[in-house]
Amino acid sequence: MGKVARRAGIALAVLALGVTTLPRGVRAQSDGLRGELEAMRKQLRQMQEQLRKQQQLIDKLSAEKQVPPPGAPGATAARVPGVKTAEAASADEERLRTEITEKIMRRIQPQLAAANKTFPSQFNPAIGLILDNVASYADKERGNFEFRAAELGISASVDPFARGYAIITGSPDGFDVEEAAIVTTSLPYNLTVKGGRFFADFGRLSKFHDHDLPFVNRPLALDNFVGGESQSDGVEVSYLVPTKQYLTLTGGWYNKLGAANDRVSNTVSRDLSQFTYLGRAATFFGLTDSNSIDLGGSWAYTPEVKIDNGASRNLVGVDLTYRYLPLSQASYRGLVWGSELLYNQEDRPVGGFPASSAAVAATSLARGLGVPPLAAGPAVSRVSLAEPAVAPLLFKRRDTTGLYTYLEARLSQRYYPGFLFDYAQDIDHVAGYTTSYSPYFTLWLSEFQRLRLQYTRLEAPGNHENQFFLQWTVILGSHVHGFRDR
Amino acid sequence: MKRFVIALVAIVLLGPAALAPADSKIKVVATIPDLADMARHIGGDLVDVSSIATGVENIHAVPMKPSFATLLNRADVLLLLGLEAEHAFLPALLEAARNPRILRDGPGYIDCSVAVDVLEVPTRLDRSLGDQHPMGNPHYNLDPVSMKEAARAIADGLGRNYPEHDAVFKKNLDAYVAELDRNIARWEKEAAPLKGKKLVSYHPDLIYFAERFGMQAFGTIEMRAGIPPTPSHIAQLEESMRKNKVEIVVRELHYPAGLAETVADATGAKLVELPAFVGGVPEAKDYVSFVDYNLHTMLKAVQGS
Repeated sequence: MGKVARRAGIALAVLALGVTTLPRGVRAQSDGLRGELEAMRKQLRQMQEQLRKQQQLIDKLSAEKQVPPPGAPGATAARVPGVKTAEAASADEERLRTEITEKIMRRIQPQLAAANKTFPSQFNPAIGLILDNVASYADKERGNFEFRAAELGISASVDPFARGYAIITGSPDGFDVEEAAIVTTSLPYNLTVKGGRFFADFGRLSKFHDHDLPFVNRPLALDNFVGGESQSDGVEVSYLVPTKQYLTLTGGWYNKLGAANDRVSNTVSRDLSQFTYLGRAATFFGLTDSNSIDLGGSWAYTPEVKIDNGASRNLVGVDLTYRYLPLSQASYRGLVWGSELLYNQEDRPVGGFPASSAAVAATSLARGLGVPPLAAGPAVSRVSLAEPAVAPLLFKRRDTTGLYTYLEARLSQRYYPGFLFDYAQDIDHVAGYTTSYSPYFTLWLSEFQRLRLQYTRLEAPGNHENQFFLQWTVILGSHVHGFRDR
Repeated sequence: MKRFVIALVAIVLLGPAALAPADSKIKVVATIPDLADMARHIGGDLVDVSSIATGVENIHAVPMKPSFATLLNRADVLLLLGLEAEHAFLPALLEAARNPRILRDGPGYIDCSVAVDVLEVPTRLDRSLGDQHPMGNPHYNLDPVSMKEAARAIADGLGRNYPEHDAVFKKNLDAYVAELDRNIARWEKEAAPLKGKKLVSYHPDLIYFAERFGMQAFGTIEMRAGIPPTPSHIAQLEESMRKNKVEIVVRELHYPAGLAETVADATGAKLVELPAFVGGVPEAKDYVSFVDYNLHTMLKAVQGS
């Protein structure tokens, strides 16, 4: 019992101690909180005071703004005693503005510094990649999935005086530099000089890359006469005649004209008479706001083509493009009719060039030329079994013509149906002529993706073929709307 | 004889430039009539102003006519909306024009967007997001407050190129901005009934107009900027418009009518047809009447619905 009483006494003592000590801790804690609260109240009062002063300043400035100019009726009455003059208020306003600006600038300075960082790679040129694929089926050649090309386009300013661009194409035939050219940008007298490898200013569609054509295949007339794209190594000077009527004149000097033109090698030196010289004039007629005509004439002259018995070659073209583009609907309505007529005159061997590459090489070597192998192009691919391979060739002056014409409608932003007619005489007068009829339908999924369906009926004397194509083309990265692609 | 022929050819080719009568006026070429109108106010008698677009075109599809190259060839200054709005035609035309003075970074190249508060600046650039404008939405010409900045850019640019006339340009600018300010105050008052109204446009070019007059640009008929609509996009848009009670469908007059009508009919929204530039309708003769037309047409639709 005594033990219990002692324990109870201890407990009571602890309790009493607790009662006396605990409130002291709580009190101390609450005192601290009270102090903090006081400090916060003080801060709040200070902020309120600051805000009140700012509000006063704003009110004063606003009142000053409403005061009519001296001399105006009621100007004196509107003045409030004690209000600062307009100049003083303006100074205050200016000071306030400066303070705010400085405060904002201090805050955003780190982000500005980060955004303004420069990197060496910022001078890298614009890069774009075009992928072009065609699935085809033909009566004789049967079906094929053809990866046509991955075309890398690079362009940038060189300096204040020139820009440069290159088109590098990877295809089943390997890599090829389609274009790599320097173009001046600031010559006087409306002159532009272009040098390097580029598509010469001959005609209209021969300057288009394959994937930019309105149809799947390049017209036969351009393939046979120009040699595909008008790719040339050389130099070109172009002049915009300073009149209200648009007129450009171009003069060119090249190793040769045409990517697949194998009359001349690009890699051997030659006399001045063996270069190709070009002249072109192009103009434009705006018939109405919506109707217009582009008209151009081109003449490529090679004084001496060794493989053609040293005779000259003339290639002349006239191109005409009619456009109907209603201004307010140009993105989804329109009509384009494009045509080119070509005339070629040169000496060609009777019956065509011999078939075997060895014979061609022998002939070429004998003439001191560096003609590429037979398989490289159409100009030396004609076969004449009647003649022995090494027999001396008999040349004859040949005049040949070719033309294409196409009509394309723009039914909506997506749907572009069209029809192409193509006619080309055989340059050697061996195979007569070939015609083709190609209805096609282009579906633009967006500006950067296109599907195209085309049927082509090829007809030659005693021969014909039906061909079907489905083309899928996309553009990645940088893409510009060039003037020559219009 | 040969020399005579060469001389004759030289005269024929170079003569037009050499013999052309000297015109003392500053030749200003603007890409759109809105800027041309402002240039006429600011330049007064000192300028001879032309515009490439007539105002009815889609700025992203202005036909690239060679005649514009000759116009630009003779220009002393070029005024452009900027923010890559003219990407479809201007870079190529500048290349064809052979006028170093108005090339980008040349003294005569006056980008009117430099001081504009740009909306919809993309935080990510990807073609899956449509035909993006990396520097932001360029259709600020539908907002008169933003166009005050364009007017200032024109006056600054003209003054930079012709400092001897700077005082005239500044005086004319002040008068023009004061006129705009008076109209802006009126327009903002008139626009009260538009507050909070939602609109769907064909292309995202009503964003500045909506922002200025308290409307809400809800969506576009285009799937993404520059990407034609698909049936599934239209179905989703219509459903979303019904849920969110969108009252207005805007067809900018350079876009096809059919689909905008269909969307308006299907959702019970009112179809409003608006020009995107001065000259887009006969009533929009200058910039003030252009904003008047757009605002009053919108008000008529909202108050009538």
